This record gives sequence, C-alpha cells and structure tokens, in this order.
Amino acid sequence: MKKTFLILLATIAITACKEDETQVQNPGTLNLTFENVIDDTTLNLGDSYINSSSETYTINELKYIISNITLTRKDGTLEIYPQDESYFVVNEADANSKSIQLNGIEAGDYTAITFGFGVDPTKYPIESGTLNFVPTAEETGMLWTWSAGFKFILLEGDYTSQTVTESSPYLIHVGSHGANLDNYRDITVALEAASSNTDFTIAEGVNASQTILFDVSKVFDGANTISIDNKPDIQVDPVNAPLIATNISTAFAAQQ
Amino acid sequence: MNKLLHILGFICFLSCGSDNEDYTLIEEEGIEDTQSENPLLDFSVPSNFPDLTYDVSQNPPTEKGFELGKKLFYDGQLASDGVVSCGFCHIQSFAFTHHTHITSHGVDGLIGRRNAQPLHNMAFMNEFTWDGASTFLDSQPIIPITAEVEMNETVSNVLNKLRDDPNYPALFAEAYGSEGINAERMFKSLSQFMLMMVSANSKYDKWERGESITFSEQEEDGRVLFQEKCASCHAGTLQTDQSYRNNGLPLDPQYNDMGRTEVTGLTDDIRKFKVPSLRNIEITFPYMHDGRLGTLEDVLDFYTDGIVQSETLDPIFTKPSGSIGLEMTAEEKSKIIEFLKTLTDTDFLNDQSFAEF
Ligand code: HEC
Ligand code: HEC
Repeated sequence: MKKTFLILLATIAITACKEDETQVQNPGTLNLTFENVIDDTTLNLGDSYINSSSETYTINELKYIISNITLTRKDGTLEIYPQDESYFVVNEADANSKSIQLNGIEAGDYTAITFGFGVDPTKYPIESGTLNFVPTAEETGMLWTWSAGFKFILLEGDYTSQTVTESSPYLIHVGSHGANLDNYRDITVALEAASSNTDFTIAEGVNASQTILFDVSKVFDGANTISIDNKPDIQVDPVNAPLIATNISTAFAAQQ
Repeated sequence: MNKLLHILGFICFLSCGSDNEDYTLIEEEGIEDTQSENPLLDFSVPSNFPDLTYDVSQNPPTEKGFELGKKLFYDGQLASDGVVSCGFCHIQSFAFTHHTHITSHGVDGLIGRRNAQPLHNMAFMNEFTWDGASTFLDSQPIIPITAEVEMNETVSNVLNKLRDDPNYPALFAEAYGSEGINAERMFKSLSQFMLMMVSANSKYDKWERGESITFSEQEEDGRVLFQEKCASCHAGTLQTDQSYRNNGLPLDPQYNDMGRTEVTGLTDDIRKFKVPSLRNIEITFPYMHDGRLGTLEDVLDFYTDGIVQSETLDPIFTKPSGSIGLEMTAEEKSKIIEFLKTLTDTDFLNDQSFAEF
C-alpha cells in the first residue's frame, strides 16, 4: 500500500538536519575567547577610564550577545555554525561566558570569522532559533521582557564630567525594537595564524583557538563620539543607539 | 511511539537531502502513523482575507500541537500565582478579551494600564499589542508571562514547572515527535493555538464572499458611512491598516500612556496606538487601549465630540473650518453601529475547539 503524504513537520526535519550537519568529516574545534579591553589594556570592572569627552567613567557591568557564527574558509566558502546553537551572552563578570567552544567544525584552513552583535531582528524566531535562547537571555538580564526583545549590549557604570562632578550612574542598553530600530550588526574579523606565512588551521583532534578583543572604549569613541553626559540613560533611543551600534561594529579585532 | 520516532527520523533524513526545507513530499510505505497520531490541522486562509503575515510553514498547526497550546493557554502554571492563565484575561465568549475589567488584572490583583486585546486573526497581524512592542506572535507571550502586573513569572521557571508536571513531558513528545520541553516548543504550541483562531464567519464575511446574505438597509447605509468616515484607518477586511495613529483620546494622567513612542523612541509616535481590528467589536467592550469607553455609542460620540487636539493627532480629524472631530448625525451613528454588529462571528465565539472545557 503506497501512500503519499505532504509532511510539514519542518521543525523536526530542520532540527535533525542541524544535528546531522555537525557530523562533518574530521571535525575540529575552535575555542573563541572574548577579551574586553580599554584601548590596549584588559578591562577591570570598577576601574576608572577617561573618554575623549573628558568624562571619567567606570564599568560596573558589561554583557553582550554574540550570534550567528560563520567561518570563512581559505577558498572563500563558508562554514556556518548551526544557528540555533549560535547564541551566546558574554559577561565580563563571568569568566566561563567569555570562552566559547565551537565543536564540529570541518577541518581546514580558515581566514575569517563573522558573528552577529545582538540578535538579527528581521529573522523569524523559529527560523533563527532565538526562542530557545530566551531563557539564557532572561537569566542574564539580556531579555527586554516588555517588548519580547533582546538587549544586545548592557553597559552600566558611574561617571563624572566637567558638569557632573558628583559620581553619577549611566546606563546603555542597545537592542532592537521590531523592524524600526535595527541595531543588529554583522562583524567580521580576520583569524590570525601563529605566524604570517602559515594558515589558520582547524584540524581534527586539535583545539584551535583565537582571542577576540572587544575594545569597550570604542563604544564612546569610535566613528561617532558619544558623550555620557549628553544622555546618561540610553535605552529606546533611535538617535544614540544606532550610533553606538556603529561604533561597536568596529570595536572587535582578533588578537595577534 | 517507537515506530513514530523511527519514521520521523526517516523524514528528517530525507528532508536533509532536499533543497526545500519547508515542504517535503514523502512517498513511502507505512508512514500512516504520523498522519493518524498527529495529523496536521486544516489551516486555510478565508477567501476574503488578506495574505498571511505568519509563516505557517515554520510552524504548521498539528492536532497535538494545538491541543498542547490550548492546555498551556488555560494553565495557571504559566503565572507565578498558579492562577492567572492566558485565558484568565483572554476569554473566548468575549472574543478572548477581558470583559469585566477596564484594564487588565494580573497576579495578586495587580492592575495593568491597558485593556486586554481580543485574540482573533493573529496570523494576519504584522505586530502585536497596542503599541506594537512585539514583532512576532511566537515571542509575544514573553510579555504577559514576565510582566509583573500580568503573570509575573520567568520563562525559565515556567519551563521548569512544565518539566516537573506529570502530564506535559508526554504531551510535548506527542506534539513534536521526540522527548523534550523547551522554550521553542512551548511558544510554538501557543502560536498554533492562536493561529487557529480565525474569525471569518460573521455576516460581513458572508456578504464579502457573496454567500447569499443581504444587509438590511440600516447595515448597508452603515457600511457606506463606515467606508467614508472610518475606513481610512480601519481599512480592509480586518478593519485595520495596521498603522499607529493618534485618534484624539485625551491623555489619561493616571497612566500617562505614550503608546508607540515607547517602542520606537520617536516623538512622531507620541500617543499613537495600533489601529485595532473591529472584528467582534460588539462584544469586546470596553473600548480603546485603556478601556475608557463602555459602549459603541460612547465610541461614536467620542469621534464627533470627544477628540482633543495634540501634535500627533491624525490630520483626518481636522475639518476645513479648523475645528476637530468627525461629522456624523445621530442617525448616521446608529447606522454605523448596525454595520459594526455584522462583524460579530458567533461561530467563532462558540467554537468548542477553543474552549477551556
Ligand atoms: C493580566 C491579563 C493578561 C494575561 C494573563 C495575558 N494577557 Fe495577553 N494581553 C493582555 C493585554 C492588556 C494586552 C495588550 C497589551 C499591550 O498593549 O501592552 C494583551 C495582548 C495580547 C496579544 C496581542 C494581541 C494583538 O492584537 O496584538 C496576544 C497575542 C496575547 N495577549 C496573548 C497572550 C498569551 C498567549 C497569554 C498567556 C501566555 C496572555 N496573552 C496572557 C492581557 C493579558
Ligand atoms: C485616524 C484613524 C482612525 C479613524 C478615522 C477612526 N479610527 Fe477608530 N481607532 C483608531 C485608533 C488608533 C484606535 C485605537 C485608539 C486607542 O485605543 O488609543 C481606534 C479605536 C476604535 C475603536 C475601539 C476598538 C477596541 O478594540 O477597543 C472603535 C470601536 C473604533 N475605533 C471605531 C471607529 C469608527 C466607527 C470610526 C469612524 C466613525 C473610526 N473608528 C475612525 C483609529 C481611527
């Protein structure tokens, strides 16, 4: 008895596919480490730093979301890490959160890594696998519960300026708000091989590793200058949030 | 069950080889079981309706998925007090709104600032809530689950409760073909339940589809007047162009609700709210985002006499003379109301498949 069925159980199929895809031949592992810095020095929560607007600021809390990881092979083809396993919260206060282990990467030579800052708000949540990231985002305070959205970066601390002489709190929460305010950014950094005449190789059984530096000072001083005093509370901000997102898009670099 | 899992495994295997992830045509012997154990529900777009906004291929409603969604919808465990379910505020016989309350009541009797919206034809909406804070139906329930004045819970804790529940693990497995309770499955089930809430059997629908229904003279006059006075915003088959507008309600200092601007941060959006669908409007009182108007008569009186000026007031309300409000006689108002009553869909309101018991 032969029967034809239109099977729409897409999710099951897709989930299973993702599991299959990770079973590549000669899978290798890439350990990514995120290191938050101010200019060239390792960030210390609570230390004072100065921005170009002559404001002295501390960072008491720093978290951001990394997503949608893709590696570029030497031949230009892409290795797309399973999207629904591709959401991470990097929290300065939690050392574990700063290293991300990517398993099941096809062995080979790679030139670059691309990742998302935040969560791509244009993608359908089922398609992009963000729904299962909700509990993590919630537990780390990165869920904008009132809008069912995500904070892409949470940066909080205290500051003084020429006009604000008493240490005062500032707060920067940049995320997306529907399709109107899209602060998601794709960021690509080159992978750095041990020496300039070798390739960045991921091989079976060997853990390749790469440290990615996030220069937090660029939040204030990148392509755009953000004075804290100008707006010490940036949340749903159609003017400043995109400026900050643009600054952040050039704040990541591979450690040489 | 084992057999079902095997079959699903096979489907997955096949679909990986295919370029089309959404639909996979399978021709194989012995997979009747998937069909009989968890058949797809018939989700079809009524012929007079606009295009779907929800991508149903990502989450096709199945019998078990829908039943699970319904159980979740009526389950107080989604709230911190174990009582305030989605269905507590969204009551079917009032088109899934909260009739007896002006603004919503949540856990511990806490009162929200907004009127619970009716739930119907969600699969055709671009954005959700009065200010469009939520872009996707699948993630919208995060808002009520976590809001202090609504269910005051966390998504993680709801999932823990469901995992510890004697019934849910099996229900999730039946609906999704494998063990495991996670956020995606929970939200998908709630969506499946809400997707099926299509209200398309009102007198108006039958008239639109040409199903040998005639409007009374009053209703027909009302329809024409509605087209003239109201349809610039309440446009189309669902009576909404899905834009955000300021229809001139005076600001209530108790809530100071600024509407859409809270989502976009734009001053242009101050005091704008989503143009609501007027489906089942006869029974979804009280009206407006804060439920301030009790009857449809009040609503029409508001449109002629109650509109207040403000910077973002929709220009349509400013008459050539410079005064504001819509021009309607008492007779015209009652005709419009007669027309609005043709939007009531008793089949939907009484549909047992959505009922708690
Ligand atoms: C305490 C009462 C309350 C509870 C409980 C509640 N809601 Fe609501 N619901 C509301 C209110 C009020 C709104 C309008 C919110 C706004 O505009 O801010 C709403 C809006 C919605 C909308 C948007 C409708 C539209 O047309 O845009 C959906 C969908 C929805 N609720 C689904 C749910 C689901 C699913 C649950 C359970 C997880 C739930 N609600 C629980 C009161 C409630
Ligand atoms: C400029 C656009 C616009 C026009 C014209 C307009 N409305 Fe509205 N209407 C809205 C908006 C926006 C809301 C929601 C306002 C709020 O709650 O803040 C609304 C709300 C309503 C509601 C309450 C719905 C609910 O679910 O609570 C009714 C009923 C209604 N309008 C009927 C009418 C009628 C009848 C007319 C014509 C006489 C009309 N409207 C003209 C924009 C408009």
